[in-house]
Amino acid sequence: MKMAWKEMKKNKLRYTILGSIVFLISLLTFIISGLANGLSQDNASLIKNLPDGTFYMEEEADETYSFSSLSEEQQQEITEAQPEAAFFSIQMRNFIDTSDKQRSVAYVAATNSSYYPQVNSGEVILDASLEEEGIAVGDEITNEQWDQPLTVAEFVNHEKFSHSAAAFINPDDFQALFHTDTMQIAFVADSVAQNSNEATAFEELQAFSNSEFLNTIPSYSAEQLSLNMIVIFLLVISGMLFAIFFYMINVQKLGIYGILKAIGVKTGKLFQMMWAQMFIISVISLILSALISQAFQLLAPGGMPFHLTWQATGRLSLVFIIIGFIGATLSGIQIKRVEPMQAIQQGEI
Amino acid sequence: MSLFTMKNVRKTFAHGEVKEEILKGIDVTLPEGKITALTGASGSGKSTLLTIAAGLQTASDGQISFEQQELTSMRSEELRQIRAKQFGFIFQFAHLVPFLTVEEQLALMLETAESSLSKQEQKKEIRQVLELVDMWKRKNAYPPSLSGGEKQRVAVARAIIHSPKVLFADEPTASLDSKRSQEVMRLIQRLSKERHITVLMVTHDMDMLDYVDHVIEMRDGKIIQEDSIH
Ligand SMILES: Nc1ncnc2c1ncn2[C@@H]1O[C@H](COP(=O)(O)OP(=O)(O)OP(=O)(O)O)[C@@H](O)[C@H]1O
Ligand SMILES: [Mg+2]
Repeated sequence: MKMAWKEMKKNKLRYTILGSIVFLISLLTFIISGLANGLSQDNASLIKNLPDGTFYMEEEADETYSFSSLSEEQQQEITEAQPEAAFFSIQMRNFIDTSDKQRSVAYVAATNSSYYPQVNSGEVILDASLEEEGIAVGDEITNEQWDQPLTVAEFVNHEKFSHSAAAFINPDDFQALFHTDTMQIAFVADSVAQNSNEATAFEELQAFSNSEFLNTIPSYSAEQLSLNMIVIFLLVISGMLFAIFFYMINVQKLGIYGILKAIGVKTGKLFQMMWAQMFIISVISLILSALISQAFQLLAPGGMPFHLTWQATGRLSLVFIIIGFIGATLSGIQIKRVEPMQAIQQGEI
Repeated sequence: MSLFTMKNVRKTFAHGEVKEEILKGIDVTLPEGKITALTGASGSGKSTLLTIAAGLQTASDGQISFEQQELTSMRSEELRQIRAKQFGFIFQFAHLVPFLTVEEQLALMLETAESSLSKQEQKKEIRQVLELVDMWKRKNAYPPSLSGGEKQRVAVARAIIHSPKVLFADEPTASLDSKRSQEVMRLIQRLSKERHITVLMVTHDMDMLDYVDHVIEMRDGKIIQEDSIH
């Protein structure tokens, strides 16, 4: 460790360059992963805020929630097996606000639910993003097809679906407004499920885990896939970068390695030295980019979907370190190969 | 039994298809605690013999024994341990570690040799050896800032700091002027006497023979003459 540090101090430029590239790549990775996560919140926080559990839709709906309709009997059957089951429906639709502006929202109605706000008939509870856009408590919102307007009762944070604000309404209002007498989705949280080891199966219903259900949302999986691919590419690139940089650094040091081997220094110790250097560089760069990406999160404009937790940063950092370790080790194969004789015959260093 | 002996050592290098025998059956016994010089024309195989003796490359045939152990049949880890603990090396160029100070070079050697001395005793020993080679005042210098002679004196200090039983030196004075060469030779002579170190040293320079006890002359991979001087 001491030798590793001493060498880095003597070759500051070389290691600073490596460090800054790792810093830039990890910063980019953190920001993109923050964006991916932010977009996924923006797209589906309504679902992501739910605890782990099982979703049920009609098999016939072919994994499209809007085609699913659970009849009274089906709801009863589910409730008998899982008394804590919640039922809800989502409908993408417009409303006209007090200044005659059209806005697209996701109307959500839920029975009994402890997961979503209870709403009185004739009222609506909106996602806070609409408050920022000038809608206030007490405003009336309407729609050409409705006889009655709804009154805004309150705002809640982070409830979005399909990149639209959620608008919670009373289930009876929902059935009246959208001319339906069924619910689309049943949800049973693992924590309240009966014999929770395995999701209960129901005839003609298809069960989904949280992530499976998220992937049925149009655009969600495509969006996440492409962003996550970028993150994975960046991680792979950073691994290759470590490999290439340490390869170049090692090539320049082969003479020293040879001499150290000649006087009896263990090959393992030379590897440890390289790992220590890789570790020091990564930790410093990662701490810096973690701090900067968190600062970015604080300073980013409110409308920008960016969400990066410390846990996510920590997980990515760990992956960076593991990949850097692999990269450095691969390039270190030269250290294993170097023969003391080559170095001795090479002359002055 | 002697400390260090070589029997019928042969070395063949393959230049493409052509095989060339560089050492053609060498028998050597190093007089214990004495300095043996290896001389001979360029290309006669001196460096090859020295590095084979020191366990830095393998012989094609023959036996090398050190303290009743057969070096030629050792696993590389055992050989490394012997190199680290029992052998010292001085090469034609100092080959110091550029990012360690003079003092740290010696500390690294003690660590490599798994020295049983306490940290305190190690510090004392380093100081003693550096004073011996007259480099204590430059203990915090890095190799690039040292002159050729200074570097070589540090290399000598590194080679003996862990009290090796055998010291191998390949033209240790070749990169130095004659005054500096004499200094380094006197140093090696003194260390060999004081610490009872057996030395095998390659040299071209006939003036250096004043400091040695035993001379082996090689030609074309064979020993042609062997003399005890004192
Ligand atoms: N690794 C090697 N591969 C092929 N040939 C080699 C190798 N090492 C040495 N030789 C050859 O072996 C011969 C003896 O080399 P060696 O270095 O032992 O000579 P030397 O006596 O030390 O010469 P000098 O006084 O010039 O240092 C030379 O002809 C050299 O080309
Ligand atoms: Mg030579």
